[in-house]
Order: sequence, then C-alpha cells, then structure tokens
Amino acid sequence: MARHGYTYSAGKLIKHGLTRGDWPRMWRRPEARSSYDVVIVGGGLHGLATAYYLAADHGMTNIAVLDKGYLGGGGSGRNTAIVRSNYLTPEGVAFYDRSLALYNSMTQELNLNVMFSRRGHLTLAHTDSALRTMHWRAEVNKLQGIDSSVIDPQEVKKEAPSLDISADTRYPILGALFHPPGGIVRHDAVVWGYARAADHLGVHMLQETEVLDILCEGGEGPDGKGTGGRVTGVRTNRGDISAPAVVNCTAGWASLISNMAGVPLPITTHPLQAAVTEPCKVFLPTVVVSGSLHVYVSQTDRGELVFGASVDPVGTYRVNGTLEFTEELAGHVLELMPGISKMRLMRQWSGLCDMTPDYSPVMGTTQVDGYFVDVGWGTYGFKAGPVAGETMAETIATGRDADLIAPFTINRFTEGDLVGEKGAAAVGH
Amino acid sequence: MTHNRLPVRPGEVIDRETSLAFTWNGRPHTGLRGDTIASALAADGVEVFARSMKYKRRRGIMTADHWDPNLSVQVGDEPNVRAGSRRLVAGMEVSAQNVWPSLKFDIGAANQLVGRFLSPGFYYKTFMRPKWLWHHLYQTILRRFAPGGRIHWETSTHGAYDKRYAHPDVLVAGGGPAGMGAAIAAAEAGASVMLVEHEPELGGHLRWGDAEDLTALADLLAAVQSHPGIEVLVDSTVTGRYDHNWIAVMQRSHEVAPERLIKARAGSLVVAPGLIERPYVFAGNDTPGVMLSGAVRRLINLWAVKPGSRAVVLSANPEGDAAIADLEAAGVEIVAALDARVGEDIVEVEGRGRVRRAVLGDGRTVAADLVVLGTGWTAPTSLLNMAGDRPVYDPTAARYFPNQLPDNVLATGGITGNGSTVELVAHGSATGTLAANRALRNRHERRSSTARARSPEGPMPESLQDTRVPLARTPHPECYRSSSHGMVDFSEDVSSKDLFQASGEGFDSIELMKRYTTATMGPSQGKLETVNAAAVLAEARSMDMVDIGTTVWRPPFAPISLGALAGRIFEPIRRSALQDWHEAHGASPLLAGQWVRPDHYGDPVGEARNVRENVGIIDVTPLGKLDLRGPDVAKLLELVYVNRWQKLEIGRVRYGTMVAEDGVVSDDGVTGRLGEDHYLMTTTSSGAGAVWEMLEDYLQTYRPEWNVHVTAVTGGLTSINVAGPRCRDLLLRLVEDVDLSPEAFPYFHVRRGRVAGVSGCIIWRIGFTGELSYELHVPSGHALHVWESLIANGEDLGIRPFGVESQRILRLEKGHYIVGQDTDGLTKAPSAGLGGLVKLDKHDTLGLPELRASYARTDLPVLVAIQTDDPEIVPMEADQIVDGDSNRILGRITSSRMSPTLGRSVCLGQVDPSLAAAGSKVTILLVNGHRVSGTVQEHHAHVDPEGVRQNA
Amino acid sequence: MIVVNCPHCGPRNSSDLRPCGEVTSRPDPATASLSEWRTYLYMRENPSGWVTEAWYCRSGCRRYFTIERNTATNETRRSEAS
Repeated sequence: MARHGYTYSAGKLIKHGLTRGDWPRMWRRPEARSSYDVVIVGGGLHGLATAYYLAADHGMTNIAVLDKGYLGGGGSGRNTAIVRSNYLTPEGVAFYDRSLALYNSMTQELNLNVMFSRRGHLTLAHTDSALRTMHWRAEVNKLQGIDSSVIDPQEVKKEAPSLDISADTRYPILGALFHPPGGIVRHDAVVWGYARAADHLGVHMLQETEVLDILCEGGEGPDGKGTGGRVTGVRTNRGDISAPAVVNCTAGWASLISNMAGVPLPITTHPLQAAVTEPCKVFLPTVVVSGSLHVYVSQTDRGELVFGASVDPVGTYRVNGTLEFTEELAGHVLELMPGISKMRLMRQWSGLCDMTPDYSPVMGTTQVDGYFVDVGWGTYGFKAGPVAGETMAETIATGRDADLIAPFTINRFTEGDLVGEKGAAAVGH
Repeated sequence: MTHNRLPVRPGEVIDRETSLAFTWNGRPHTGLRGDTIASALAADGVEVFARSMKYKRRRGIMTADHWDPNLSVQVGDEPNVRAGSRRLVAGMEVSAQNVWPSLKFDIGAANQLVGRFLSPGFYYKTFMRPKWLWHHLYQTILRRFAPGGRIHWETSTHGAYDKRYAHPDVLVAGGGPAGMGAAIAAAEAGASVMLVEHEPELGGHLRWGDAEDLTALADLLAAVQSHPGIEVLVDSTVTGRYDHNWIAVMQRSHEVAPERLIKARAGSLVVAPGLIERPYVFAGNDTPGVMLSGAVRRLINLWAVKPGSRAVVLSANPEGDAAIADLEAAGVEIVAALDARVGEDIVEVEGRGRVRRAVLGDGRTVAADLVVLGTGWTAPTSLLNMAGDRPVYDPTAARYFPNQLPDNVLATGGITGNGSTVELVAHGSATGTLAANRALRNRHERRSSTARARSPEGPMPESLQDTRVPLARTPHPECYRSSSHGMVDFSEDVSSKDLFQASGEGFDSIELMKRYTTATMGPSQGKLETVNAAAVLAEARSMDMVDIGTTVWRPPFAPISLGALAGRIFEPIRRSALQDWHEAHGASPLLAGQWVRPDHYGDPVGEARNVRENVGIIDVTPLGKLDLRGPDVAKLLELVYVNRWQKLEIGRVRYGTMVAEDGVVSDDGVTGRLGEDHYLMTTTSSGAGAVWEMLEDYLQTYRPEWNVHVTAVTGGLTSINVAGPRCRDLLLRLVEDVDLSPEAFPYFHVRRGRVAGVSGCIIWRIGFTGELSYELHVPSGHALHVWESLIANGEDLGIRPFGVESQRILRLEKGHYIVGQDTDGLTKAPSAGLGGLVKLDKHDTLGLPELRASYARTDLPVLVAIQTDDPEIVPMEADQIVDGDSNRILGRITSSRMSPTLGRSVCLGQVDPSLAAAGSKVTILLVNGHRVSGTVQEHHAHVDPEGVRQNA
Repeated sequence: MIVVNCPHCGPRNSSDLRPCGEVTSRPDPATASLSEWRTYLYMRENPSGWVTEAWYCRSGCRRYFTIERNTATNETRRSEAS
C-alpha cells in the first residue's frame, strides 16, 4: 500500500490545472473514537511523525493525535527550519545523522516536497577556544562518517561572501565548522507530509482537542498517578478517551502534561525568538551560525533572511516576544554582515522551548506504565523530528527504549549520567 | 511632463516653488517638495510601478500610503522603499525592483499563462523527481522568483544610527483627531505626553478631508502645539508594545540618523491608529487604476494629482461618497457611482497596464481608466494584539473591535467606533484623561513604595471610573468578495480561488491557510489582506466570520531597518592599564572573552625560552580577583572549594578548585590570606564574574549569618607575573620592605610591600609557568610605572615581556591544566586529576553528594600527560584518541604544543580510565587522517615534575 | 523588557538584573541521598502561573531577592529581600 494516498506529481498539477478539478483533502477531520491503542498528545512534527512511523513501520493504526490548536502550530511552525548532524557527542551525532537521512529521503517517501535545501552549514569561531571546540566536533563527526571540517576565513568567505572576515572587528572570524549536508527544510511541509501520510494510514488527527488530564491507576501518587502506575486514557475538552498508551509529544507544555501523569520533568520553559526580514534578492547561500554572537541566519528561497538566537533568559510561557531580542539580533548580525543594515525586519515571533539541564531530550518509557515522553527538546526539536518519531514508534510498539534513545531516557537524571551536548549548544543551530 | 497635476488644492502639502529632480528606471523626472515618490511619479503620468511576485502582473497605486503593496521600489542602495510614503528627495535614483529584464517587459509574466498550473502550494507537489534536479535546478529557478530589491551587502559599514529612551506618562499611538484629543486631555491632566504619528503631519484623515475637516484640524494642531507637555513625533511609528508597556517607536528622518529607535516605558498607551482601508476581491482587482477611496482622496487633496479621467466608484460608506465629490472637483468624470449599501457591485475589471473597462454587477460594461473602491475598513489591532487582546468581529459594522485590554492600554478613535470629528475628539479626550490619571496614580504609588522613595509629587490622583461613552458602531455592509475571484494578497499573488482550494485540501483554519498559501506573509503583513482572507475562508467553510478568528498580528507594526534596531553598536572591550604599552611594543592582540591581551610580541617561542633561561614579565590582569574580608571568610572558602581552608595561616597561599552543585569542575585559582580577616581570591579570567555572583548568592541566600564582604578588584589591581630564574634578582632591585629570600618568602606565600616605590602592592610567590616567579598586584594607576621599571631594571638580566601564547607553552610543559580547555562541561573532580586535593569528609561543600558519587566511579575519563612517540608530531588540540585502528573514541588531546625546553611535543589529554596508567600506549588520530602513537606519562608535568625550579 | 521591582533599588528593566529561576531549597549535603540531591539539582515545578523566583540585582545593589511572577502573563508582585 502506498504510504501517502493521492500521488502528487507534475502530471497531476497539469491535470488539475487543465480540468480545474478539486484536489483531495490532505487529511480528514474525523470523529473521535472512545478508545485508541495509542493517544499522542501534541499534533506537531514529533507527534505526527510518531503516529506515522507507528502506522507505517509497526502496523499500529488505531491511533489518535490530539492537538489543542491546529496541526503544527507550536514549535514545528515557529522554528527556523535548520537541519544538521554535526553534534559534539557520539550519541548526538548518531541520533541526528539518522534524522538527516530521513529528511533527505522524506520528499520521496511522503510524496510531498519538503524543499530540503542542502546548502551547507557554517558555525563561526570568533575565539581560539571556539575554534578548538569546532575541531573537536569536526573530529568526532568525521569518525562517524559525517561530512564536517574546520575551514579558514578565506574559505568561509567563499561559502558566504557577505560575511566580513576582516581581522579588526570586535568578533573576528577565525574560522568555521563547515558541514555541507546541513541546510534548511520547509518546516510546515514536513508537518503536512507526515499528517497526510498518517491520515492515509488510518491515524485520527483530532485538532482543537485539548488534554485536560491523563487518567492513571495503581500509582503511588494521588488518583493512581506516579511511579508504579498505569495509564488508562486521557480526559479532553471533548470527553474521555481510553488508551493503554499515552505519549507526551508536546513542547512548551511538557511539564504541565507530564504532571498529569505524576511524572515530574527536569524542564524549564523558555521562549526562543525568531525574526524574518523583508525579501531581498538572494545573496546568502549557506546557513551561518555564530555561537559567540548568539545568532543564526539563513536566507529562504523567497529572499527573506530568517534569524534566530538563543533562548530568552527569563523563563515564561508568554510568546509575545521582546524588543531587546530584535535589537541584539540586529547588532550581532551587522557585526557579521555590516552591509545589510538597510534590510528591514518584517516580523518577529517566538515559540516555547523546554530546556533540560544538559540540552538533550527526555525520551522513552517512564516510571508510569504506558506513559511515554518525547519532550525536553530545547532548541533541537525540529532537527530531530523524524528520528524522534521513528524511535518513539519503536519504543511504543516494543515497550522498550530504542537503542538510539538509550542515552536520553529520564533515568539519567537520577543516575547523574548527563549528555555532554551542553558545551556545544549554547547557540547550537 | 506634469500633466496630472491639478490646480492648487486647499489642503495640499506640496511646495509648488521647489521642484526636485530624480530618476525612475534611469529616466529623469521632476516632483515637488512634499511629494512622495509615488505622487511625483503619478503626477508625471507613471501608472505601472511594479510587477507582482509570482505572476509578474503589472501593478499600480492602490492605497497611496505606507501599506501600498504595489509601491516597493529600490532607491539607490536601499531596497524595498515604500514609494507611497517616502518623501521625495532631489537626486533620488528610483527603480522598479523584482523585474527582469525590465518593468515594461518581464519574462516572468509568462507565468500568467501557466498560472492555472501554479496553484497554491504547487511547489510542494512537484519537483520531487529526479531527486538531484531539486538541488541543482528547481531550487535555483524558485530562487529567481524571490521578490524584493537588492541589498548592497558589499558595503563595509553599517551606517550611523542612534537610539533614545523615553519615559512618558502617556504615549499616544496615532495623531488623528482622537489621538490629538487624547494627547491634549492627558497633558491637561498633568501627564507628560508623547504623541506619535505615522504620517509626516498630524491630522489623520482630516488632512485629506473637506474644508470643515481642515478647519477642525487647524484648531487641534494649534492646541497640541501650544501645550508644553506634549512631545510630537511625526513620520514615526509605534512598532511594538511589549510587556509592562515597553513601547518601540521608530522615528524616521531624524537629523542624526535615518531611523531612530525610541524605547519608551509608558505609563499608559493610548492606541489611536484609525482604520486601514480594505481592498475588495473581484476579477482584475489588482489592475493598475484600481484604487481605494483613500488613495484617490490623498492623491487629489494632498498632492494635487489627478488619478484618472473616467472613474467607476463603488462606495459602501461616507468616505467612499466623499471620494466621488473629490473626483468631481478634480475634473474626473464619474461614469458609474455604485452604492454597495443597496447591493450594487462590480464584477470584473479588464485592462493590463491600466484599467480599460469594468463589468458591473448589473451586467453593464463601462469604459473607465479608474476604479475606486470604498468598500470597508480594517481595524489595525496590532498593538492591541501585542497587549494580549483578541479583538472580536462585529458583523453589523463589518470589522473587528477591541475586546479586553489591560488597564495601561486604552483604545480610541476609529478602531473603537465611528463618529464625527467632534465625537472622535471627545472620545479621544475622555480616553486621554483616563490614561493620564491611571499613569499618574501608578507613578505616585511606585514612588511612595520603593525603599529609597522620592517624595511623590502632590497627592495621589483620584481613581477615575471609565465613564467614556463608546463611539457608535455604524452599520456597514460586509463587502469582501464579489461574485468573481480576485487577489486577496497583493504582495504574495494569492487569490480567493487559491484560498478556496487550500480550504478544500484541509488547510481550513486561518493559520494553516496562511502557511499553505503564504497569504498575509508578505511585506504588508496582513494589513490589507488578513480580514479578506478570513472572509473568504468563512465563505469556503460556510461559517460565520466570528468563528474564523484572525491570525495574530505580530510586531513590528511597520518594518524596521536592522541598522535602526542595532543603533550604535556598542561592544566594549576591556583593556588592562598596560594594553597601550603592549600595543606600542608590537603585541599581537588576542581577544579573550571581554579582554584584549597580548598574544605575543612577535616570537612566542623565544619569549617562552627566555622565561626558562632569564626572566620574563606578563600582564595577567584579566585574572579574576576578589577581595574577601570578615571573620567568616574561611567558612566561605571551605564551602566553595573542594579542599580545606580553615587552617590557612596569614601570609600563606593555597590552590583550590571549585565544583558546581552537580560536581562538575567550574573554576580554580589561588587564594591567599593577607590578614586576620582579609583574603584575596583569584579566579580564572572568564569565570571572574560568575564566581563573584556565586559567592554573593551563597552568602546572601544560604549563609546570611556569615560576615563576609566581597569586593571585585580585577580591574583595580593590575597583575604582573615576573617569571624566570633571574626574577628574584630583578625584584631585589625594586621591592622594598619585603624579604625576598627563599627562606623568608617561600613558594605559595604572599606578602605586601612597595614595588618601584609604589606602596600597597601584593606580592605572591606563585606562577603558572613552573619557574621561580612572583605575581605582583599593583594599584592600576601605578601599573605602567611598575611595568616600565621592571623592564628598565631587568635589561641586563635579559628581561623580555611575554604573552599568552608563551604562557600556554610554559604551563603545558609544567602540566598545569586550564578549566574549560582541559576540562569540559561534564568533567567531574576525579577527571581533572585533583587527586588528594578533594576532601570528601567535609560537612558541607558545593556538590558534595556528587563529589562523593564521582569518586566511587571507575568509569570516568582521566586527565593525563601524553607524549607522542615521534617527538616532532604535535597533534592538534581536540584530536581524538581512538582504539587502535577502529573509530571507537577513547579520549582526546586537550592541549598540545611543541616544547622549546624539551625540543619535543607535549600534550595533555582526557582518556578512558583503561589508558590512564603511566606507560599506556594511546593512538591519536590526526586531522590529516594519520594515526600516531603516544605514551601516557607518569606526571602531568613534562618539565620539572619535582618543582625544583618553582621552589628555588 | 519587563520591569522587575528590586526591593532596594525600585523598579528596574530586567536587563539590569539576572534571573536565577525558581527558588529551590538546598538539602543538607551531608545527609541528603543522591536522589534527593538530584531532585534539587534538576527537577523544576515550571508552572504556568505564579512562581516564586530569585533575581540578582547585578547592575544595582547586587543583592539577591525574590519576586512572584506569573509565567503566563509576566505580571509581578511581592518582591522580598533575601
């Protein structure tokens, strides 16, 4: 069976253009059933990918994906769509490289062009210690077969001619970690691709359905929640749904949802802001990241510069953004590219990031039977979406944590075995 | 060529005496002072200003203001200039952007022929096979269609910009009748007022109104200008309202900067932006010559430009009716005046470069070159959204209205309802009074509540009830779409048909539809198209507008240049008191955190060798220095260092390592006891600030009963390390009142004394280089004198200054590790090779449970000294240590240099515990892919492990 | 830019201060179990609503203090010296 339903192609575009015929819906608005085998909380990239791989790889199709708003309205639609696999730790590299591979074949697998633009990814070094960390990452990357190397300022200039590589700037560019397979993806298309395919395989996507509680029994906490308990379903604004497995695929609300199952998380929620300029003729061919300057930038095929930074220092659930973000951003971007001061910022927005102490996610099984988490993604959620879905599906289907996510289970916080991405991650886009 | 310029109009803003020459697409044109680029070109007969983004359709003036989606032009090196609002300046080189090869003939217009195949999201459905073509061809083609002007990124400076802070009691966004009324009333109530108007002059719609409007405007202007409490900012936009009424104002055409960002903390914000006229959706609604009623009224009344000769007008409101009168006065023939209130309609407009015919709702076709639409209004609720409001649609008035606002944000004017000028001013006035009263009450409360309260000025203002009589919501027909399909988003070339398709495909919420079709995502950011898009979606889903909602309007309200947001780029660098000397003596600069330091003076190896052989001096001022005083300092040290401190005698120095509460090594340094209750702590350069704040944290929140005072003295004391076998000889010439003999002043001791005549210097016998060395902490005002005295007195001893690079060589020879280089974000104490330093039997120290746990583990990596078996090979720092020929990582080189003392390469590295024993063989993978062997050494120190030299 | 009311210096732009997160209670390291210690290190309430948090007045009095802030609205109330 095809995995994606109605096949899109140039031929279909011509056919529909000529006949003016309606295109089929990409997904339905189904009526909710009273019970499912798996209920996934959060209709973003992670939730939809998990549903898709459960259906496609494990034959589980009696699945509901619940979202309190619309599909992809959270972090999936607010990120800056950068993908890469040049992480610092071997476990990080292995994980994100699988994700990159899935992104690479996604357009064909899902029959929806997610416009993966493999344009190269530059992480600038402005200090010798940053350069050392770049070397460290490059060497670890190379050992795992990742195309990643340190290049000098002249080579940087070749990749991104608009960067100022003169030596007398406040933050001189001493070199960069260059990762040719990195790039940007049309983030919404990824969400829609998974949603369309999941829908085709029978998954129910229930939009505007908010989870109010997770129903448990047998746990040591109140209402049978917490350690030793078992999940029985969820309570929503549209009624109760019973399910033996509930997956928390939320970002921004992960702590609140997890508390419903009595599973506390090592998370604080911070906004991550982004902004986009008015379009200009394309001049920036690569993704450019500067950790010291807390900024990353790429130019879309539409000509807009898309900017991001590090998370806001003050934790909050508010997403209305700050002025100082745009001020600092502009100052830092102009340090790198002084010639673009006349470009105008057109829109700013922010999303919520669940930050963990080691900048790595919390995934897999928990102390509550049937309650799974795929949370704490910080600023990396988009890059990891496909592999997170694939490994969470395996974990749910088999009941044991998939190998790739073993370093990321919640136990590491009780065992003191944190993951070492933090050093490289202050601004890790 | 000024054939469209009308005789003098009563409210015109042009100066007919001053003509300004400029070029448009390379051709010379002339305008008048007061013209916008668009009005000058329109007066000169220009009709087509741009090509649309996707189909390259010809586009002309539609709204004749800042929001006009068809009037983005390139002016010199500035892209995306709004010709509808940018004032004409003599000499401007203006050109159409986004056209190829020219505005007249654009190859991309072929897209119009294949438009039926380019339905929304078409690119998601094709270009998928073959895969490589996507990367090499399709993407390149799509990029060609990127709209917008050209940025001259080759420019090497970012230009002159500036910022300003302001603290008005009341900030009024919008200088129309209501906003002016609010400003006057607020000022009368005693508030300081900032009145911000987007256009170059106050007045709002009164400016292009009739004689009565102009009279009312003159009165209001006089009142505003005569009130000293009102600061007026025109040609300025309130671009954002952030939490706690932090308001961004973009001031354009300021004398010192092309754009100036004003950041205002306003007591109250009065939102009075008026209304934005809304286009109408029908076939051909983007043809040049289709204009909104406000556009023709502005062209005629402000710039005396005749917008056409034969007009069809579709009006649904008094402003549309007024346009008819203005057109007639301008000599435009009205070929059809259609009243939308009685169901009259327009179905289609034909014409390519200009309107030629219009098909009306009753089936008639009339010849015309101008179609004027007065079909409705959009409430620009942007600032209200940013204040947390979710405006609600009112079908009777056919627009959105404010819903719930916080106390410090008030709305007035057209955004809240309709009224005569008198009614608008009255509502504004009542709003201004209320806004002022709330702001003054808050200010009063704040001043009386702070610990160091200034006396509040006068009595607390009385609390005022909100007794404003709301403005009426005049019924208005819901004119969104005719019976035909037309453009909804002009910037993005998205039609109503596209939106129907998107809804049918499942993108049936406003946010999903926006993302799929890109409607509202272009430069006008939804100001013209959001409500029409919502209306089309409601129609497609057969829902009520009320249930559709709208997309959230995000800041900024109008685009802001990056230059203005950045302002003057202020990235200070810290320089020691000696940095000028270093630079004058050939120092190569090294940026290290906030500091600039000498990396070397041209010969790092020679400088290092000189330290081993003679004497060298290095400026180590960035070293963090904290002066600690009080009876409980030892308890503090015991808490924050892993080792013991209770028994440190006066005059003694001890090395200490800090770990954080999670057991990870965080900082290190030496601390000396200068007196009974007086210690001096040193930290790493990069950790100085964090350690200071950490000490304060534990002192203030964890052990407030301890009596310790912490003072940061990093910059106040200039630190000079004097190192080398001959350094004592040198210091004997300069140090008074301290016995420098090894017996009286041994290693790891501290003294205070006079150096080169400077009293109050602190002299430590410590060093990072492994040589006999003294570290001098000199009051910074005298530092240069001491430094120069050292140089002068050391000439015969072979003194040379040395920089950071030499120090790195020397410390590595000696095996001293650097926190953050030889350790990382997960390095626990055992991995730093701290050995017996850590005391696990203390009652309380930072991270104690984690320290204990870490010492119980056998799997943690270990810091070791490594030497390559081939002495010539210097691995790069961060080269990986691998398991033989496999790719399994067993560690990494953390520091490496060629040792001038040993004539061989020396390294430190973190290795798997299985490799930690002295003599273990390790395989190092070099950057070039070669694998070389190395041997783990017994001691961290490659040179002088016994410490003979430093103890000399 | 929110305003944070320092009990000593009065209302200040938040950029003048450093946010230190939820107020936590440090267990006695001599007796705490590893599990208690790691809960202190890593686990956070992270509520959407009122939270008591610490701030450091780094550009002013250099005192730590606590305020209550609503993380859903950024409203603040009750600021107290440590």
